[in-house]
Amino acid sequence: MATFFEQLINGLTIGSFYALVALGYSMVFGVMKLINFAHGDLFALGSYLGYTLLIASSSWVTVHFGLWGGMAIAMLFAFTGIGLAGVLMERVAYRPVYPAGRLSLVVSALGMSIFLQNGIMAIWGSRPQAYPAAVVPSTRFSLLGLPVTSLQVVILLISFTLMLAIWFIVEKTTFGAAIRATALDRSTATLMGIDVRVVIFFIFALGPALGGIAGVMNGMYYRAISFNMGWTYGLKAFTATILGGIGNIPGAMIGGLLLGLMESLFAGYVSGAWKDVFVFFILIVVLIWRPTGLLGEKTAEKV
Amino acid sequence: MRKTVSVLLVCMLATVLFLSGCAKKTGDTGPIQIALQAPITGDYAYEGQMAKQSVEVATELINKAGGVLERQIAVTVVDDGSNPKDSAIAAQKAVSLKVVAVIGSYGSSVTEPAEDIYEKNKMVSVGYGCTALRLTVDKKPNYFFRTCGRDDAQGLFFAKYAVETMGAKLIAIMHDNSTFAKGVAEEAKKALQPYVDAGKCKIVYYDAVTPGEKDFSAAVTKLRNTNPDVWYYTGYYTEAGLLVRQARDAGLTCPFIGGNAAINDDFIKIAGIDVAKGCLMTQEPLVTDVTTAISEQFRTLYKEKFGDVPSSPWPVYAADALYAIVGAIKNANSIESDAIATAMHTNMTGVEGVTGAIKFTAIGDREDVPYKMYEVTADGKYVVHQP
Repeated sequence: MATFFEQLINGLTIGSFYALVALGYSMVFGVMKLINFAHGDLFALGSYLGYTLLIASSSWVTVHFGLWGGMAIAMLFAFTGIGLAGVLMERVAYRPVYPAGRLSLVVSALGMSIFLQNGIMAIWGSRPQAYPAAVVPSTRFSLLGLPVTSLQVVILLISFTLMLAIWFIVEKTTFGAAIRATALDRSTATLMGIDVRVVIFFIFALGPALGGIAGVMNGMYYRAISFNMGWTYGLKAFTATILGGIGNIPGAMIGGLLLGLMESLFAGYVSGAWKDVFVFFILIVVLIWRPTGLLGEKTAEKV
Repeated sequence: MRKTVSVLLVCMLATVLFLSGCAKKTGDTGPIQIALQAPITGDYAYEGQMAKQSVEVATELINKAGGVLERQIAVTVVDDGSNPKDSAIAAQKAVSLKVVAVIGSYGSSVTEPAEDIYEKNKMVSVGYGCTALRLTVDKKPNYFFRTCGRDDAQGLFFAKYAVETMGAKLIAIMHDNSTFAKGVAEEAKKALQPYVDAGKCKIVYYDAVTPGEKDFSAAVTKLRNTNPDVWYYTGYYTEAGLLVRQARDAGLTCPFIGGNAAINDDFIKIAGIDVAKGCLMTQEPLVTDVTTAISEQFRTLYKEKFGDVPSSPWPVYAADALYAIVGAIKNANSIESDAIATAMHTNMTGVEGVTGAIKFTAIGDREDVPYKMYEVTADGKYVVHQP
């Protein structure tokens, strides 16, 4: 039984990374109807930004703020940096091609993904980098008889806090209502006096910024980062988005967590080799049963 | 009318033949063109870059010593991006460049499509990091060779070492579903079978992880619960580093043995030295543990040009592939594919590479590739393990 809970925590940790990345996908899709393929690479870039900050100023940060302070600063740095990168990306790669239709947008997104991935490789090299052990806080302790690390607990806390915050902003505030209105119908939202540009700016700052934080936490937790890590996480997070219902904020969170749990439990109890087969089989079953995902709205065809 | 056409055709054919003959003659004084197909980009870019450097060093050494057939050699690099799809494109490119022979590539699943293309075009290719059996055993190629060993040799070495030297009773084997890792794992399992039948040991875990992922906690928790005496992972270093770290965090303490792609400097960086020290690996000897005359020169020049010797054994086999090709050209006294291939199969007397004498079996495998058990020391060096 203890092993079961251990696997549960393992799954939740992977799942929270998927969920944070999936949130960015889902927010952007909701408003822009664009699958932002470069999102996974922004996540990787966040990881590298945090890494660079910690490497460059590790002694200074550690002396003044301690290990946890260093982690917080790295996350803030990646949050801001990737937020800016997201806004810049929208300005450079998406806004100019928006009138040309969705196909051009998707191609532009793929282009951004390749650009970012190779940019990371050109700057930081093709070899994997590692967050040095000295800057990663890690104490092992036993929580209700389960072996966990302090980092694991902090990651779960931060992830859930962020997810709750996003949920609150989107569902409970006036600005959230503006976001939802823009997602529903862009031109009508404009007629109602919503500044769509501000909404898009916000979405492209916050979505990637969440990915940036997830990137730093991922680097801290697994220590190894590589220039192509965005691809794997992007794909899994995209799957989570589809599973939960694309464009739906709670759906992205639930999809991410569920994906992580399924992976972990299947690999732990059945077979690691067949894990992805199983997970994607479940995805297909869910999509047959609910084509718009678990929490996706049923869309009625307009006649 | 018909006669005129056929005469014209014959004339044209003659001209083409004459011209192509000319082209070949004028090329005879220039350098002999050889291609290196390697993963310059992609997942194994690090290995590919070192292979390129190794071949560069070998080329310089050979050319300094007067080249071959009184001609210099020149190496062109084609990038296979660490994946089978780009490998086919890279191979087509090498073929269209009309090189004399090809070195490459790293990784069995990447090499396979290229091997087929070279074989079809009757072009000699020499793999340097592809160890799957089927490349030679199943295909019985005429123009494909390899300077590295085969999976079954490594699997056999592991089985014998684990049971006889270490006395392990419960053995766990893990791979990553890639052609290479699965090959070694299967061969290790096969080699363990006689011991299992004799009741000397048991395979308690046999499963795969997905390469490219970072979280293997589910797999290592499952592994830990089987209480193995020794754990053999046959995949690549990125996953290996993550696996060992996560396994130690989950409380698994048994010795870790990596396959020959599992441990390098990046493994130590990812796992952290506290976890990496004491990890073992089955591997062809590193260039630092080779004591041939050429290896001396190779090490010196490599250090001079790039600072340090290659940290993995594979790039050196790329250099060996070049030595094999050049040696065969010399023994065959020809740059025709068929002559080179025949020389490689039958007449490799006096051909020495960085790792020693190079000879091939009838299906193109290298004869007598030695393996050793390496250990990571506390200061991140690799030494031959003393049990």
